Amino acid sequence: MIEVNQLTKVFDLTKKQRKELATSDKQTTAVDGISFECKPGRIFSLLGPNGAGKTTTLRILATIFQPSQGTVSICGINTLEQPQLAKRKIGFLTGSTGLYARLTPNELIKYFADLYGVSASDFEKRKEYLFTLLNMHDFQDKRIGKLSTGMKQKVSICRTMIHDPEVVIFDEPTSGLDVITAKNIIQLIQDCKDQGKTVIFSSHIMSEVDLLCDDLAIIHKGKIVYSGEMNAFRAEMQAQNLTAEFIRIIESSNK
Amino acid sequence: MIFNIFKKELVDTLRDKRSVRMMVIIPLLVFPVMLNLFIFSSKKIEENQAEKIMHIGLIRGNSNFLTAKLKQLSNHKEKQLLFYKDSLQLIKALNTKKIQVALVLEKKFETKLKAFQPARVNLISNDTELGFSERMNSDLAQIEQQLKKERFQQLNINETTIQPLDIKATNIASTKEMIGKLAGGFLPYIFITFGFMGCMYPAIDLFTGEKERGTLETLLTVPVARWRLLVGKLLVIVVAGLISATCGFLGLFLEIEVFGFTAEPEIATLIHSILSFKFILTLYLLLIPLIVFIAGLLVPIAIYAKSFKEAQSMIAPLNFVIIVPVIIGFLPGIEYNWVTASIPIINIVLATKELIAGTLTIGLMAWSFLVMLSFAALAVLFSYKQFDKENAIL
Repeated sequence: MIEVNQLTKVFDLTKKQRKELATSDKQTTAVDGISFECKPGRIFSLLGPNGAGKTTTLRILATIFQPSQGTVSICGINTLEQPQLAKRKIGFLTGSTGLYARLTPNELIKYFADLYGVSASDFEKRKEYLFTLLNMHDFQDKRIGKLSTGMKQKVSICRTMIHDPEVVIFDEPTSGLDVITAKNIIQLIQDCKDQGKTVIFSSHIMSEVDLLCDDLAIIHKGKIVYSGEMNAFRAEMQAQNLTAEFIRIIESSNK
Repeated sequence: MIFNIFKKELVDTLRDKRSVRMMVIIPLLVFPVMLNLFIFSSKKIEENQAEKIMHIGLIRGNSNFLTAKLKQLSNHKEKQLLFYKDSLQLIKALNTKKIQVALVLEKKFETKLKAFQPARVNLISNDTELGFSERMNSDLAQIEQQLKKERFQQLNINETTIQPLDIKATNIASTKEMIGKLAGGFLPYIFITFGFMGCMYPAIDLFTGEKERGTLETLLTVPVARWRLLVGKLLVIVVAGLISATCGFLGLFLEIEVFGFTAEPEIATLIHSILSFKFILTLYLLLIPLIVFIAGLLVPIAIYAKSFKEAQSMIAPLNFVIIVPVIIGFLPGIEYNWVTASIPIINIVLATKELIAGTLTIGLMAWSFLVMLSFAALAVLFSYKQFDKENAIL
C-alpha cells in the first residue's frame, strides 16, 4: 500500500541550473501538493508528459528525495520517520537503470541481497526462484558488461525482486527497450500484481497503460489533473482513443 | 554493511583496467624507467662528449706560450687548435660549429705574463653544445695552476705565506640529517603525487561514473544510511591512494636495490638504516590522514561533476593546489615548528624530513597528525554534505 498525501517538492536552483533553464527564479516546484493511493494487488499508473513531475514523485516514494511538504506512507510506514524500514519494502526499477558492468550477475545479486539484509537461506531460495524464472543460469558468472540488453534487463529485474518487496516502483521501465526486452518487464509487472504486491509505474506510452493498469493519475506541471480507475477513465473518455484523451486532458489543464 | 560496500567497490575498482594502470603499474614503473633512462642517457652524452675532439679557435695564439701549454696537457690528443686572424671569422666558425670554443688572447698577453701581471684570455663558446666550455675551463684552470707554481718559484715565495687563514670546516650534521633536511621532502612528494593519482580515478569512477552509468540512483534506494555508502566508497578511494603511493615507494626502492641507482655504498647503507619498520610505520601514520584528506577533497568534486570528463577537468587544478604546499615544505629555510606544524600538508612534509633526519620530536609530530586528521575529518564531512545534496547527487 502506498499513501501519498499533499506531496510537494521544491528544488533550489543553482546558478548553473538557472542559466540552463533560462530563469531568474531561485526555486522550482516539481511536485505541487499531490495526493493518491496505490492498493495491493492493483497496478497504479502515473501518466504525464516529460517534465510533469513523475520521476520526482517516484524518487520521493523510493526515499531518494525528501518531500518539501506532505507525507508518504509505504505499507503503513512513514518514509520521513523510518526511511530505512520503508526502503526494505520497496523494489525500484527505472528504464535508465545501469548495472555494475565489471561484476557478474551472481556478485551483483548477492551484493544487493546483502544491502537489503536478506538472510543467507532466503537469498539462496529467492535467487534460485528468480534465476530459474528468468532463465539466468547460463550467464550468471559472466561479466555484466558482456551481456546483451535482454540479459541485462533480466539482471535488473532480479536485482529489484531479490528481497521480495511488497511495493514495486517502476519509473518508465520500458523506455529505450525493444519490444522483446520490454516484454520481460510487462510480464514482471503482471506477476507482481498476481502476487498481491502494490505496483506503481510511470509511463507516457498509452498502450502499456491500457494493457496493465487498474488505477491511474495524470500529472502535469507537478499537479494531478486526473485521478481514478482505468475502467472509469475509459467510460468517461471524450476523445476517440486513449492517447487522444490523454492529450485532451493535458491541453485542457493548460487553459 | 560498510565492509560489504567496501568489498564490492574494491572488487569493482580492481577490475577497472584504467584504475589499476594508474594505481599500480605507473607508480611501480615510473622511477625505474625514468631514472634508468636518465642515467643511461646522461652517461651516453658524457661518453660522447669525452670522445669528441674539441676544436679550439685562437686569436693571437700562433707560437704562443698558452698554445704550447695546451699542447703539453695530457689530453692534448682530444683537441685541435685552429688559428684565426680576426674575431668575425672566429664567431662565424663558432656559429657554423667548425670550432666549439674560442680563446682570444689580449695583445700584450706574453708581456703581461712575463711582468707577473694577469694576462686576459677571453673564452667564447656556443653553449648549445654541451660540455665543451667546461672542458676548456678545466684545461685553463690546470694551466693557471702550473703558472702560479712557476711564478711562486720565480719570485721565491712560499705558497703558504699568501694564505693567511687555514680554514678547516667541520659539518657536525650526520649524512642522515643532511639527507633528511635536504632531500627528505621527496618522500611525501612521491606519496602525495602518487596518492593523488591513485585516488583520482576510483573517486571519479565511484561517484561521477555511477551517476553517468545510472547505478547511483538504484544504490540510493537500498536500506543503508547514506553515510555508510559514502564511507564504504571513501575507504576504497583511500586504499587505492595508499596502494598507488606504496607502489611509488616500491618503484623507488626497486631502483635503489635492484638497479643500483646509487653507486655510493655509504649512501646505500644509510638508506637501509633509514628504512626500518618503525620508520615506515611512522611515515604511514603521518601520511594516511593526508590521503584521507585528498580523498575527502576529490569526492565532492566527483559528486558535483556530471561526466567523467567534467570531473577530470575540475580535479586537475586541485592537483596543483595540493602540490604547492609540498613544494613550500621542500624549500630550504622553512623550519618545522608549532606554526608550520599547524599548516596542513606542509606539516606532513616537514615532519617527514625530520623523521628521515632522525630529529622528529613526538610533540610536534602528534600535533601535525592531529591537525591533518582534523582537516581530513572536515573534508570527509564536506563530502558527506555534498553526497546528501539532492541537487548534486543525481
